[in-house]
Amino acid sequence: MKITQFIQKLTLWELLVGMMVVIRNQFRAKVTVQYPKERVPLRPRFRGVPRLRYDPKTLEELCISCLLCEQICPDDCIAIEWEKAPSGKGRVLKEFIIDYQRCCLCGLCVDPCPTKPLTAIYMSHDYELAGSDRLDLVTGRTDLHEGRTVTIYDK
Amino acid sequence: MFRTQEMEINMGPQHPSTHGVLRLKLRLDGERVIDVWPVIGYLHRGIEKLAESKEFVKITPFTDRMDYVCAMSGNLAYLGAVEKLCGIKVPEKANYIRVIMVELNRIASHLLWLGTHALDIGAMSIFLYTFREREMILDLFEAYCGARLTYNAFRISGVPADLPPGWKEECLGFLKLFRQRHHEYEQILSANRIWLKRTKGVGYMDAEQCLALSVTGPVLRAAGVARDLRKDEPYAIYDQLEFDVPVDDGCDTYARYLVRMAEMLQAVRMVEQCLEKMPSEGPLMGMRGRKMRPRKDEEVYFAIEGPRGEQGVYLISDGTDRPYRCKFRNSSFANLQALAPMVQGGLVADVVAVIGTLDIVLGDSDR
Amino acid sequence: MDTQMLITVLISLGQVSIVLSLVALSVPLMILMERKVIGFMQSRIGPKRVGPSGMLQTIADGLKLLLKEDIVPDRADKWVFRVAPLIVLVPALAAFAVVPFSGTALSLFGQRITPWVTDINIGVLFIVSISSVGVFGIILGGWASNSKYPLLGALRSAAQMISYEVPLGLALVGGLMWAGTASMVGIVEAQREAHLWFFIPQIIGVVIYFIAGVAETNRAPFDLAEAETELVSGFHTEYSGMRFGIYFIAEYANMLIVSAVATTMFFGGWLRPFPNVSWLAFLDIFNYILPGEWGPFMSGLMWVIIKVSGFIFLYYWIRATFPRYRYDQLMSIGWKCLLPLALANIMATGALLLWLGQTGA
Repeated sequence: MKITQFIQKLTLWELLVGMMVVIRNQFRAKVTVQYPKERVPLRPRFRGVPRLRYDPKTLEELCISCLLCEQICPDDCIAIEWEKAPSGKGRVLKEFIIDYQRCCLCGLCVDPCPTKPLTAIYMSHDYELAGSDRLDLVTGRTDLHEGRTVTIYDK
Repeated sequence: MFRTQEMEINMGPQHPSTHGVLRLKLRLDGERVIDVWPVIGYLHRGIEKLAESKEFVKITPFTDRMDYVCAMSGNLAYLGAVEKLCGIKVPEKANYIRVIMVELNRIASHLLWLGTHALDIGAMSIFLYTFREREMILDLFEAYCGARLTYNAFRISGVPADLPPGWKEECLGFLKLFRQRHHEYEQILSANRIWLKRTKGVGYMDAEQCLALSVTGPVLRAAGVARDLRKDEPYAIYDQLEFDVPVDDGCDTYARYLVRMAEMLQAVRMVEQCLEKMPSEGPLMGMRGRKMRPRKDEEVYFAIEGPRGEQGVYLISDGTDRPYRCKFRNSSFANLQALAPMVQGGLVADVVAVIGTLDIVLGDSDR
Repeated sequence: MDTQMLITVLISLGQVSIVLSLVALSVPLMILMERKVIGFMQSRIGPKRVGPSGMLQTIADGLKLLLKEDIVPDRADKWVFRVAPLIVLVPALAAFAVVPFSGTALSLFGQRITPWVTDINIGVLFIVSISSVGVFGIILGGWASNSKYPLLGALRSAAQMISYEVPLGLALVGGLMWAGTASMVGIVEAQREAHLWFFIPQIIGVVIYFIAGVAETNRAPFDLAEAETELVSGFHTEYSGMRFGIYFIAEYANMLIVSAVATTMFFGGWLRPFPNVSWLAFLDIFNYILPGEWGPFMSGLMWVIIKVSGFIFLYYWIRATFPRYRYDQLMSIGWKCLLPLALANIMATGALLLWLGQTGA
């Protein structure tokens, strides 16, 4: 036992083993993703910035202005404006603003949304958020439905 | 004519190996460190104060941002405290999912530690290997909760969603791969004579001193104290799992390396057991009222075993839906106290080794 | 001045400029290859954006360094600060004067042009001595910066380079004893005559030489002088622009020198493997492609490049794998391990040669 240990010490054995591990990794698949050109596939549950959606069948506004998302938001980044519906029952959404600067993408706003199973507010797959102005990131109702226009570089 | 002079040198907050924004004032005699003052607070965001003005539900995202390397543990510690405060029972299946996530996060956190620690000491490649494997864990988290770093994966009284289809197989595949890769890391480092020279006897701290400074986690276990909250005060479902608490009595950086390496394998074991034992049906969220109002003047302290040590949350309620006081007992802050006694008398190169071995996260200590 | 002398001077100048441009060209290539090779070892792909698959990356980096402002710190010793990088670079380049790049001289314009600038009979000694001048540049650079991290780096580097000069030189002595000459060309010829590359009897010598060489060039795992994670970047922390670039070039030129000496000394320089086994002659492929002297010339060059590249690859491989030594450990290895081993190697070589000489005679 002692002799083998001595020989291993003398022949730099454990150093060579380590070097072999490194060279083995040379032949493994590369994990680099050339970001603007290639993108990592997102999982279905990926939480990007929150957005709004219409009812896919009737194409009507799903949001019923219940203000639950506004209440639960830990960053107070949601602001909702509404008015009484002309029929006298329910509310009509006037404006829905999310300040993307403050949003922490926690996804808490989706939890209490009452329009289940399809929630009016949902975590989208948008993650490219850079803007050149602070006000760029304060997103109104139209943009929340259709998505913000972001310059995406793919070179 | 000739005289020697002590030199004061400033390490950080922008320095390649101070892991974020730790600043160290070193007093050197040549290369030998006479004294060191850690300066923290560069990442202070006032989370504890912020928590006082938020409802209990809203605080979970903030716990993600304290110890961002193991946000799942942060979530679990905080939610455990709230559930204890309000007397909420968590369904069994939710507990299984929580433990799976926390243990996977422990592997991810230890991988990050291994990579950066080895990089500080000079081994380059292993840093990228560990990050490659960590990325797979983050993929699993993304598939489960949608986020890769700040998970906010649990809710009060349970978890928001079941494991997605195919997740179990992906996770088992990863664990199988990870066992091989873990062996590779050991091949690169465990017997490497340079690694041994750089870590053995460096940053010595015995059990007595650790306890005096309230150092917890792998650092304490590497000093021969088998203190692990998962065994000593089991929470969630840890009492139903079979696992060992790796202990070493080397008291030095190498012993901590061995303990953390063994812990990763134990975490793999736990996740495998959880995936096997987890009930396929069952509720995910326990019963709770719409608004939580704990009793007035009640205080709880709930602690879990995070990757870095005891991660505790202390809550005082005043009968409203917000905590009166929310104190996070974070292990990085306590462990950072051990830095100066460990480093004194060592060389400059030992400072980075000790920073690595303490595995501090500045977001955690500054909050 | 008579014409013959003028022509000799011109030829020498030509040789010098060719060698210098070869070095200057290979340094960006080495940097690129280092980034690519280490990238591949780490499951990445390395530089990719500039030029086809990143080929022009180092050229772009070099241009950037040239165009950057040359900042001299306010409290620095300005003159020394400016000169220090050159003190590192010049000896590193001068050492190439005696490196043989191939074995066959060319006849051009009626003149015989050798593939080495000069072949002096103390070639090895010349390289060892001149490359040790470079340490002054590092010490001066670190000291003149008048800053704390560079000072620590410079002191580390001074101690390290002085300690490792000794085993480096002693490791070469074994090879010199086998060769019986210190001329770089003579050493290769001796290996041809001995039917033996000297790394076989000198395996310990090779290992010691290479370890000391890695330490001498301040490369990982002995890169204490610029240890990024400890001293930010050591002696060149305060340097920017092309002055930093010069340190960089000198480091790679030194790597080339160490590899070239190892190639010449222990691995048969421009000789193909088993130079005396005639059926292996096909390995010298250029002999069949190119006419006249150009064939053996190019074949020799090819072998030198292959062998040197092997060593350079080893450098990268080691850098990718190993952790870094600590300052005191580095010293103890140099003095307590490598030096006695090198001395023992010399004794053993002497005894072996004596015994061989007696039995042979």
